[in-house]
Amino acid sequence: MDHKALAEQLVQRCLKKGADAAEVYVESNRELSLEVRNGEIETVQEAASAGAGIRVLIGGRLAFASVNDLRETTLEDAIGRAVGFAKITTADPDHVLPEDPTTVEVAGLYDPDIAVTPLDRKIELIKAVEIAAMKDFRITKSAGSAYGEGESEVFIANSTGLLKTYRASGCSFGVSVVAEKGEQKASGGEYCGRRFFADLKTPEEVAEKAARNAYEMLDPKKVKTQKAAIIFDRDVAGTLLAGILSAINGERVLQGASFLGGKLNQKIASDLLTVTDDGLRPKGPASAPFDGEGVTTQTRVIVEAGVLKGFLYNTIIGKKAGVKSTGNASRGGFTSLPGIGPHNFTMSAGAAKPEDIIKATKSGLLLKEVTGYGINPVNGQFSGGASGFWIENGKIAFPVIGLTIAGTAGEMFNGIDMVADDVDLNRGLAAPTFRIKLMQIGGE
Amino acid sequence: MNYQVMDGEIPRRRFLELGFKGSLAVAATPALIAQLLSCSPKGAAKSPMAVDPGLLDKVIRKALAQGGEFGEVYLENRISRSILLEEGKFKSAVFGLSQGAGVRVISGVKTGYAYSDEISEEKLLRAAEVAGTIAKGAGATTQAAAVKASQLPSFVTVKLPLADIADEKRLEIMQRAHQAALDFDPKIKMVTIDYYDEIRGRTIANSEGLWLTDELPLLFFIVQTLGTGNGTSHMGRERLSAHAGFEMFDGGAAETAARNCARESVVMLEAKDAPAGKLDIVMQNGWGGVLVHEAVGHPLEADNIAKEIGVFTGKLGQTVASPLFTMVDDGSLPNFRGTTNFDDEGTPMKRNVLIQDGVLLKYMSDVLSAKQLKMERTGNGRRESFRYLPIPRMTNTFIEKGKDNPADILASTKSGLYVQSLSGGSVNPIDGVFNFTCREAYLIEDGKKTVPVKGATLIGNCLDVIRNIDAVGNDLDFGPGICGKGQEAEVTAGQPTVRIRGINVGGTRAGR
Repeated sequence: MDHKALAEQLVQRCLKKGADAAEVYVESNRELSLEVRNGEIETVQEAASAGAGIRVLIGGRLAFASVNDLRETTLEDAIGRAVGFAKITTADPDHVLPEDPTTVEVAGLYDPDIAVTPLDRKIELIKAVEIAAMKDFRITKSAGSAYGEGESEVFIANSTGLLKTYRASGCSFGVSVVAEKGEQKASGGEYCGRRFFADLKTPEEVAEKAARNAYEMLDPKKVKTQKAAIIFDRDVAGTLLAGILSAINGERVLQGASFLGGKLNQKIASDLLTVTDDGLRPKGPASAPFDGEGVTTQTRVIVEAGVLKGFLYNTIIGKKAGVKSTGNASRGGFTSLPGIGPHNFTMSAGAAKPEDIIKATKSGLLLKEVTGYGINPVNGQFSGGASGFWIENGKIAFPVIGLTIAGTAGEMFNGIDMVADDVDLNRGLAAPTFRIKLMQIGGE
Repeated sequence: MNYQVMDGEIPRRRFLELGFKGSLAVAATPALIAQLLSCSPKGAAKSPMAVDPGLLDKVIRKALAQGGEFGEVYLENRISRSILLEEGKFKSAVFGLSQGAGVRVISGVKTGYAYSDEISEEKLLRAAEVAGTIAKGAGATTQAAAVKASQLPSFVTVKLPLADIADEKRLEIMQRAHQAALDFDPKIKMVTIDYYDEIRGRTIANSEGLWLTDELPLLFFIVQTLGTGNGTSHMGRERLSAHAGFEMFDGGAAETAARNCARESVVMLEAKDAPAGKLDIVMQNGWGGVLVHEAVGHPLEADNIAKEIGVFTGKLGQTVASPLFTMVDDGSLPNFRGTTNFDDEGTPMKRNVLIQDGVLLKYMSDVLSAKQLKMERTGNGRRESFRYLPIPRMTNTFIEKGKDNPADILASTKSGLYVQSLSGGSVNPIDGVFNFTCREAYLIEDGKKTVPVKGATLIGNCLDVIRNIDAVGNDLDFGPGICGKGQEAEVTAGQPTVRIRGINVGGTRAGR
């Protein structure tokens, strides 16, 4: 049976079994991944799969069952489990399914060429990226190159009559290498992910960046514990976005567990900070015509010139908050209930060039890697491990590793005083290079 | 490339598996993978399967038909329940039914892998054919031995099987923990209880004639409490986990965990700014073992050693750590979260001493890396599910207990940071730089634990940190966690109280 008919039919069967409302999410996937090291194929993995997630409501009680086997007996079992499990949960009048007959087209989500591009071409691509990354004399070892692709088709049907579908694809490749000098080791990698195979970068471009990320970190020097400017390279600028993201989750806000909870329409950041959530961007890595429960996605401004303009909601949490779903129900595949998550979450570009920001910095850290948990969504505290380059008198002076950086979200958001023009819209969390004028740095 | 470990969150796996999201190059995407690792609840399984040994033989023969030396078929089924109690309401109940099979072929250093969600002769043979193409042109084929059923000792004993537990019992335990946390202090404003259990059945057969089957239960119980006061908020977390039956909750374990969690939430409301820069650290016994899990454990996994890129490459037999330092990985500790009877390639679990009195003795291997390095299989070949290839992973990893009295370790530390518990951390296994984040920490002033400080990151290099351990307590304890290395594994980390000299602390306050 085709998956559209299956989704509709399963909704009806849930209702017959005693559900007041039901939703069925059917997803099918195909994936391929390849790894090459030292010029030889190391792994080839291939699979195709499909599964269904069944959400039922009985008198406001919510339950869910998932199954990765679409045979009749298994599906019957899953419906029974979901309906049975609804007996144990708490009734809640806010437990509803979305009604949303609207539709929207998003261009560039599916590339039919990925599947028909010959395997050899994909293998050649990652052999080439590895060879190119090993070219520099400082690069001594390869940690391997890899290619991955996937495509999926989603159907959502629910008992309000909603029935929607879309298809999406993606592919990516990358390489990771090691630079050595005496006892020193430094690793570096780079990847490129796109919706369309033809949009992938050249292997040379990816390789050059991977090699540079490794050898540039050789011969690091120490710096003292101090307060100084930190320039977040666009590769790590998403750290700040991730901090905003977890704090604008509408459920967290309702629970009083977000440091941004009481701040709607207030100034939370420098005028230079504008953030949007966009589900509709053509070829966007996190674009989709509808969210994880079938609500049409939109483009929303979340922070406008430093003022917090909105939170993210799915249907149930929206109802609790007295607002409509913002089309932000997230779904980690057919095995999970809808949560809350972003689409393409982007910090707007500024006017400066990244090199102008370095030039304008007397002393500080150009941050290339951050480790740790990021900004704490509950209280806004931030602490992380850091590496990058030390800047003296407007120039990159030497690499630094093993530093710590710390601050509060408020200090970080308000401290943004320069923003570059280099945002890369091919990332789900995308931000340009920016500077925070003063943060605590831990060193010697 | 970073490997990480967490103390909480019901495992969130699906996002990594599929489509655009899952197809990204693991080797080269630290930032993205980190982003992908925080996604949505997990799913899982189906009733036990009876397998015909004739079919297993047929699939393995098919897998090796084009060449290769090692063929394997792995079948799995998983049935899981997760229930969420939050703000006094049972908000959701989720049932997961999953099953599937993966076929693997190793030819030289090459691996072919294919999996299917459907377990049928047709699908298994198709997977075998796809996996086998890796060996095309490799020359002579290997004669697979016919599989023979075998039995291994069990390290998991169950008194109250999960299948016999009524859902009401699960709800009751959750409710008791919820109430215990709320009753602890009026500053506790919200309590979240995540209950998860699963039964996972595995059948593993390979061209060496191995054929093993088992079925293991797993429980994971996570309490989170939101404390509010003093102009701030703190989310505490505490968890229980074991491969065990419902007896894990005996003796009020859930309520005790809930009260510990609430205590953390309340204490940390008083936290002052943490210092920044190099400090001496005293780490309390228990989950603090995540320090060595990250700093030493991942770099001792044999895959990166076989690639000659790991930080411990070529250091076997050398003194790499303080003579006080002995580190063990032991997947046979009774009922522990990191314990199974055999790994996901069928190698029996055992105690592996990795570093003894500072000398490096052993790496943790899977079938492939053991073959590459010509070393024994240590029982560390693990996989998250049939959707993944097995890779070297830790099980229950800990610093062996020493001789020092924990109170003396603290008293002899003039100033520094007392780390009572950690959230988790990550490591780059190539350059050895690791970090971990304090969940609950205090200043040490004149040998005494004084004021709590805000959650700071600790960072260092693995080789430095194990040389700079200068006191090891006699109070070994453990904590459960989730380890991520492109796929998730259930682990335990453990240690006695230890002191480490000179770790970089990421606080917001300069100076000591």
